[in-house]
Amino acid sequence: MTAAVSRARGGHRARRSGGNRVWAVYTALAIALAVAGSPFAWMLSGSFKTDAEIRRIPPTWLPDQATLDNYRELFERLDFPRYFANSLIVTGAVTAGNLVFCSMLGYALAKIDFPGRQALFALVMAALMVPGAVTFVPLFVLISNLGLVDTHLGMILPFLAGPFGVFLMRQYISGLPDEVIDAARVDGAGELRIFARIVVPLARPALAALGILTFLSTWNSFLWPLVVAQSEERYTLPVALALYSIGQNQTRFGLLLAGAVVVVVPVLVVFVALQRFFVQGIAMTGLK
Amino acid sequence: MAVRTVRDRAPALAAPRRTGLSDRTRRGLAAWGFALPFLALFLTFTAGPVLASLLMSFTDLRSSDLRDPLAVDFVGLDNYARLLQDEVFLQAAANTLYFVSAGVPLTILCALGVAVLLDKGVTRLRAFFRLGFYLPVVTSIVAVAVVWRFLLQPETGPVNQLLRLAGIDGPHWLTDPVWAMPALIVMAAWRNMGYLMVVFLAGLQAIPRELYEAAQVDGAGAWARFRRITLPMLRPTLLFGAVITGIGYLQFFEEPLVMTRGGPLNTTMSVSYAIYDQFGFGNYDYASAMSYALFVAIIVLTFVQFRLLRPRT
Amino acid sequence: MKRLTTVAVALAALTALSGCGREAGGPAPDRPAETGAGPARGTVSVWAMGTEGEKLSVLAEGFEAANPGVEVEVTAIPWDGAHDKIASAIAGRATPDMSMIGTTWMGEFARTGALDPTPPGFDEDAYFPGAWATTVVDGTSYGVPWYVETRLIYYRTDLAEKAGVKPPADWAGLKSFAKGMRDRGGARYGIALPPGGTGSWQTFLPFAWQQGASLTGADGGFTLDTPQTAKALEYYLSYFEEGLSPAALQPGELEQGFIDGEIASFVSGPWHIGVLKEQAEDVLDGRLGVTGMPEEETGASFIGGADLAVFKDAGNRDGAWKFAEYLSRPEVQATWYRTVNDLPAVKDGWSGITDPMLKVFGEQLGETRTPPAVSTWEQVASVIDDELEKAAKGRTTGEAALKSMQRKATAIGTGT
Repeated sequence: MTAAVSRARGGHRARRSGGNRVWAVYTALAIALAVAGSPFAWMLSGSFKTDAEIRRIPPTWLPDQATLDNYRELFERLDFPRYFANSLIVTGAVTAGNLVFCSMLGYALAKIDFPGRQALFALVMAALMVPGAVTFVPLFVLISNLGLVDTHLGMILPFLAGPFGVFLMRQYISGLPDEVIDAARVDGAGELRIFARIVVPLARPALAALGILTFLSTWNSFLWPLVVAQSEERYTLPVALALYSIGQNQTRFGLLLAGAVVVVVPVLVVFVALQRFFVQGIAMTGLK
Repeated sequence: MAVRTVRDRAPALAAPRRTGLSDRTRRGLAAWGFALPFLALFLTFTAGPVLASLLMSFTDLRSSDLRDPLAVDFVGLDNYARLLQDEVFLQAAANTLYFVSAGVPLTILCALGVAVLLDKGVTRLRAFFRLGFYLPVVTSIVAVAVVWRFLLQPETGPVNQLLRLAGIDGPHWLTDPVWAMPALIVMAAWRNMGYLMVVFLAGLQAIPRELYEAAQVDGAGAWARFRRITLPMLRPTLLFGAVITGIGYLQFFEEPLVMTRGGPLNTTMSVSYAIYDQFGFGNYDYASAMSYALFVAIIVLTFVQFRLLRPRT
Repeated sequence: MKRLTTVAVALAALTALSGCGREAGGPAPDRPAETGAGPARGTVSVWAMGTEGEKLSVLAEGFEAANPGVEVEVTAIPWDGAHDKIASAIAGRATPDMSMIGTTWMGEFARTGALDPTPPGFDEDAYFPGAWATTVVDGTSYGVPWYVETRLIYYRTDLAEKAGVKPPADWAGLKSFAKGMRDRGGARYGIALPPGGTGSWQTFLPFAWQQGASLTGADGGFTLDTPQTAKALEYYLSYFEEGLSPAALQPGELEQGFIDGEIASFVSGPWHIGVLKEQAEDVLDGRLGVTGMPEEETGASFIGGADLAVFKDAGNRDGAWKFAEYLSRPEVQATWYRTVNDLPAVKDGWSGITDPMLKVFGEQLGETRTPPAVSTWEQVASVIDDELEKAAKGRTTGEAALKSMQRKATAIGTGT
């Protein structure tokens, strides 16, 4: 409804100030898009090329002789369903955990006045800045002592509630109007109820963003799943695909690019599925 | 036992409320309840390893001690003192500062511009464009490296060919000590723009439509609406974007790894790259010290950003 | 959850207790132990990288057939991250029985005390001497060579013919070889030597070895600024000063330049045969040649590859060493070459190799050197790379670069 109204209004304005400006915007966006998308296009076309053609300088944009060999070899050599399932389990659990736990704490930090709030927020921010590389070995020693080596749990637990998500949700929720929440409190609603019934629906765009970003980073993570997995059965998709950079000095580029395309598909699906929460105009009518 | 009795009786005394706790206390308990899962996970999986790695930075632990990490000596602040004499580290610190101060504003401006255009400027194909601008984020770094190297090729690359049309003799971007870093800055902005765009798009949704409609009735133009409504209302999200990009860029690493290996002459060597190197060399003590130096730098930068972008009251 | 927190706290506390400190004089030296007699039994878990990891099960089948009751479990590990994975596994005491280990990592991992010394019974003389040397750390061998690679000079035979130059025998010969192909052969550069940057030490150090340089002295410290290395650096830099070598190269430009005839020669390992053929078989057919390193005091080249090491925490130490012994047999090494093209580390494994280009690599393997097996080598190597780049780009003199290399390498130390 609202979207339709504003579109109609936009149309009026466009006519008044001349359709040229709209065209200018579209042209600018299209050029920017070409720049943004060209490496992706090359990755896609490269996955249908022979290794020799991929190495050629300058690169070709369309394959001279398109071939499906890379994909064929990929699926023949790879226990694809297993790696895909592993990736899905780990990424699904981490994404779900972050959505729930981070929005809970994000709400508390944004809208509840409680003792220790400042300190807790400071802790979250500090956690955000913790240098990852050096905690790696101690974390693995811990996982090893807990008996979580070679388990999905060992890949999931350390990342189940990241400070990034808490910060994002806290920032977004603090931008929501206080009035609705205060009104609910006056009506005697408990915090859990306010969170579930009011905050979560209003924060859907932010949850979508968090979902997209968490899914992306977890799906692509490489080093931690590799170190935790002790057998190929536990490998996630990116780890399994990295096997194709076959030597210290040799790389099968065709397989690598085909693998990159295969890895990216679920990420794009999630993006497309969640981006509908970025539609214009969440009805805020009735709020002041 | 006594405590329990008191609590058991409390509801009756405090009717009509369901519990005897004050609103404030109840809210506080709820808040800590909300914090519990994060805290438990944080204390288990982050606090311990962080403490351990911090302690590492005060010892002489190398990879050859991994099997027996207790048999090391405390060296106090030696590792930190070494940082100040390490020319590679100092150069890396300067490079990182350069990268952050140019890269963060550039990336935020690009992402904000694209997000606002995609939110309001266009109506047709919006979903398509949104997906398009997200593509750099998901493109494999291998493909990114190949295409960008081609774009920046001195003789045949499109960038220099365009410059030649304008009568400019373009540099050998990636092998020129002066131009390698600017090239990487632009590339990083390109790669990270889509990431921030997602966040900004979400942020734009929190701005009530009525504000725009009211402003439009008052005759405010597009720029005025952007400056007086969008920017102030987007403040929390912008702060988030600035902080996250700042933290990310202070840990700038992948671009030099795939494009220049930190060269030429270490002009694109970043602090994170130096940490990665030291870690690879097995100098866990020194790598930790570098990381905590970076940690402090991140805290300072974040503090400054909070100051600059905090809500005006 | 409480248990988890307790463990975390305990871990932190344990680390805090590290007041124990290092034992004076270091740990007691390792003594190799015998392996049991009879066939191998039980499960042997093995980690191997890249193609080796993917194809090792082929060899494992033969081993299992010869030893009923043994089962080999191979886990393939990507090269990216392999170093971190092995290091983490050592720290977390989660190592397999046996692993493939890059030759330049041996010093570092052996010093963790996680590797089992090679038991008696392996014949050192069966392997190329340079290859065996990569397993030796502080006088003790901690594994056996598995496969090797060495570096040769690749050149365009057509350009050499046009220029009327012959493959070089010594340094003067290499210089006129490169000059001839540039001035009369039509190439833009006579030879592409790496102008610094990651890994360039592997091309530079052989020139020092050719002058008879030794990188460590009698006391075990580094000796990078000897007259021999000075001579080598002066010679190396002259290629850039005379415009015989490009001062900057982006990845991929080397291969393309060679195919286009712009770059007449370069130094690299056996993998480049495959890369070049795949990229331009038609252009290079009959125009691709390889030749050994020029000889001064020696004609040494660099040797790399991978070793097989057994971990002290191995559950099946006997089985693992028996598998290593099996993989070292000449016929198994030959099979391995046919399976994945890895060059045999065992001399007798070469009998079946007839490819003329590979044979040149085989000849060069008789004269190779390996960098000192110290745990700090990778770090010292990066110092050499850095200083080499500064000198090649004219930012510093060769003399100053060498002084700086020596000063920094000494500060880094050898990790003892």
